[in-house]
Amino acid sequence: MPSEKILLARVGRKDSRAIDTYVQDGGYKALKTVLTGGWTPEELTEEVKKSGLRGRGGAGFPTGVKWGFVPKDTKGKPVYLLCNADESEPGTFKDRLLMEEDPHQVIEGIILSAYALKCRDAYIYIRGEFYLGARILDAAIAEAYAKGFLGKNILGSGYDLDLTVHRGAGAYICGEETGLIESLEGKRGQPRIKPPFPAVHGVFGCPTIVNNVETLACVVHIVNRGAEWFAKIGRNEKNSGPKLYCLSGHVVRPGVYEAPMGLQMKELLFGADFGQGMKNGRKVKAVIPGGASAAMLTAPEIEDCPLDFDGVAAKGSMLGSAAVIVMNEDTCIVDAAQNLSKFFSHESCGQCTPCREGTPWLLKVLTRIEEGKGRNEDIDLLEKISNQMANGMTICVFADAAIAPVLSSVGKFRDEFRYHVEQKRCLVGPRAGARELVTV
Amino acid sequence: MSSSPARPKDTFTIVFDGKPIEVPKDTNLIEAAKLAGIEIPHFCFHPRLSVVGQCRMCLVEIEGIPKIQAACTTPLKDGLQVKTQTEKVVQSRAANMEFLLINHPLDCPICDQAGECTLQDNSFGYGDQRSRYDERKRQYQGFDRTMIGPHVVADMTRCIQCTRCIRFCHEIAGTSELTFLDRGGRTLVWTHDGKPLANDWSACAADVCPVGALTVKEFRFRRRVWYLQKARSVCPGCNIGCNLSIESRDSVVYRFLPRLNPEVNDYWLCDHGRFLSESLNLRDVEKATSRDADKVADVLVPLAIERIATRIREAIDGAGPRGLFFLGSAHLSNEANFLLRKLSDFLSCPNRDVVVDKSRVRRIKSKTAWIEGDHAAANFAGAKDMGLTPSAGGYGLDAILSGASVPEVLLVADAGFSQIADQPEKVAALRKAKFLVVLARTANALTRAADVVLPAASLAESEGTFTNVQGRVQKFERAFLPKPPVRAHWELLLLLGLALGYGDRGWTPADVFDRIASEVEGYGGTSEAELVGGGLLKKGDFAWAGKP
Repeated sequence: MPSEKILLARVGRKDSRAIDTYVQDGGYKALKTVLTGGWTPEELTEEVKKSGLRGRGGAGFPTGVKWGFVPKDTKGKPVYLLCNADESEPGTFKDRLLMEEDPHQVIEGIILSAYALKCRDAYIYIRGEFYLGARILDAAIAEAYAKGFLGKNILGSGYDLDLTVHRGAGAYICGEETGLIESLEGKRGQPRIKPPFPAVHGVFGCPTIVNNVETLACVVHIVNRGAEWFAKIGRNEKNSGPKLYCLSGHVVRPGVYEAPMGLQMKELLFGADFGQGMKNGRKVKAVIPGGASAAMLTAPEIEDCPLDFDGVAAKGSMLGSAAVIVMNEDTCIVDAAQNLSKFFSHESCGQCTPCREGTPWLLKVLTRIEEGKGRNEDIDLLEKISNQMANGMTICVFADAAIAPVLSSVGKFRDEFRYHVEQKRCLVGPRAGARELVTV
Repeated sequence: MSSSPARPKDTFTIVFDGKPIEVPKDTNLIEAAKLAGIEIPHFCFHPRLSVVGQCRMCLVEIEGIPKIQAACTTPLKDGLQVKTQTEKVVQSRAANMEFLLINHPLDCPICDQAGECTLQDNSFGYGDQRSRYDERKRQYQGFDRTMIGPHVVADMTRCIQCTRCIRFCHEIAGTSELTFLDRGGRTLVWTHDGKPLANDWSACAADVCPVGALTVKEFRFRRRVWYLQKARSVCPGCNIGCNLSIESRDSVVYRFLPRLNPEVNDYWLCDHGRFLSESLNLRDVEKATSRDADKVADVLVPLAIERIATRIREAIDGAGPRGLFFLGSAHLSNEANFLLRKLSDFLSCPNRDVVVDKSRVRRIKSKTAWIEGDHAAANFAGAKDMGLTPSAGGYGLDAILSGASVPEVLLVADAGFSQIADQPEKVAALRKAKFLVVLARTANALTRAADVVLPAASLAESEGTFTNVQGRVQKFERAFLPKPPVRAHWELLLLLGLALGYGDRGWTPADVFDRIASEVEGYGGTSEAELVGGGLLKKGDFAWAGKP
């Protein structure tokens, strides 16, 4: 039975991007409730805390608690709210849908959150490749200014807010909040050393909160229907609210699906309202539950795997951005690991030694194995390199992300790696038939 | 180990491997460890540059934090427990060394940095002798062995991406010529839009480079660094008096390197001063010469001095001591200028002077502030302090140049005292003196006009003190002995004094300085160590700048 759509309620509606239809559908009601209903910023923050909303960008940190980290006395410094729309985790495409189909929901969420933070300047940092999204947001922001939802004295409440769209230049690492901040400042997108954390010392040296697009959109519904309602959605109060799942790979019907937090992985893959099963009736071999930086899960592991922060963590992986990538039995796992490593090798910012040197090294070893030139010791070597890259060895967690697909694939599909090394060809997949891989 | 700081309120107690030490609150953990006698290996940390924590070599374990932490970025707090020798730390260092070396060319045999390379040192200290890397090494074709400015040669294949050079140009020079290009394993340091690395301190970018990625054109392939002898000296380039090390071998100066003095030049040295090093090797005047009518002949130094003394005595007998003139030099030490002034006093001659050429304003950043100098010589202030101004009834250099006065004997203590010595009409005015004596190392119009030329030493061949623009008296040491019969200026002047009855054959520059200290106001009450370590004004920490 399909659950009620909340975040995606307006997706597919005619003229869903226009402000008029948004207002017709009850849009900007939350804004009126808060600004003209006498809500204080503190009350709004408290409401978000009560809702149990956790950041939808990947880390799952409680949003209200994060807001609470902004110092009470900012010593005259402005507070900034940055909407992280640098959606670049491979397999993730939920924020894009929200921004392109229902931009005003996102904008309303930003205005509400900015109010809670007493922020007068908010930015949407959108990845450079989302040209359409940036254009749609720009148009929507212009509409919101014209209607008086942005700018000076919003709805006569005396609250001012300016919102600006800033396009990135296409770097994965700018999705990391301090990398995003550096990039927004016009610098090279490299993560900063923490502490100080952005809530104290963020963009332009001022207190800054960075929230994901989906997180901010949720705030609208928390205001409209109450924190208690929000907290009741989902598996438990620690994993609450509606969630967008990005399903891709070898399923019949890939796409973005909304469901209460804690949807069973099997339901997402096989449910009639979701993925509708595996394409061509093949079997599941591996599933990446939360984007490229999450560890792979095997077919037995996806049994009873609720897709929420704690559920996936219990399986030794992470929900991340809820980008579920499904691989069927014909997928060569070495090929998949090499493909993922290529991404991380390409996207490392290059400032820390272990990540700068380690990610290309992993790629080179994986490529060698994939090309049929692997050696027996290479499999252990992959693990050893990975283990000396992460866990505090670097400034940000990029290296931890980069080794997750390698460690999980080597750990869970070791036989296939060994087969690759010994037989010099894939165990399965399109190139399995080749007697020996073409080597020049 | 370290003395306890003066103001206990401003300190934290840090415990390194169970051993507590008190350090000032603003100390970096790496420097605090150094105070405790513990080395935390690092590449990107530099005491005067911003902390970026990106080489990851300085990882340590901190009590209460599960993950390993970069020492350089760890904020200090009282009672911080730091473990620098645990298995985790040792492994992480070995891991970082392995990562750094997989793409490093290991071309130490042909690399100029070898011997003073942090990568080499840390590899020996903390790395594994074997590598598990068996792939092709990264190369930066088109970015190797390329001059990126007038003095600096870049070889990105050797670079370990520590960004010290980028930060130096951005934070100290303020010119931001260098930047990171590309990202990940292809990251490289290069100039913005091909604009040259051409600030006034560009070679310091090569100094801060821990490896051989940036090297100095003028020094490349000239000498292996472990053959070089170091002498603590002071820059002759201007009146800031940057502390430097003269690096020489077999009586040849190969380079100047900045020597740490937080009060003056800190870790830095400007290109103008640094590349004066080669000029110390110039020598035209190898022997004393004496002119008889139009005939110039080589003579032994004692005979030349005897001839000068004779002429001085004759002049005193004729026109009296007012017929003499002693011209000091802003390039010479306090000791040489002091002896010259004492000699003129001894002979009751009031005529003496010292001049200096103005240059463009030169700047260097000390630990706390920019210092400016605009003299083309190092010691005008000192020469003045030594009393080289006309005394009562005497006249100065202007009087000679204008033709108002013509001395019987004119003694020029340094042929290169000013540009005046290269200008024919000015030299002609000086030549009007009946007898012209010049102490010289290189030939110019003045030496060619002189009656007697005495062969004098270079900065590297002499010792003494300079007084800088701040009034700081700083000692410079001799790098090597001059080749006979060349002698230091002070020694030639002392020999002349002895011939005339002044002075003591046993005097050394230190003895002369003792006399300066007791006679010249403001020069008393200092020790040898203070003079070499940064001068009279304040006591400064002394250390070689080579390896921060």
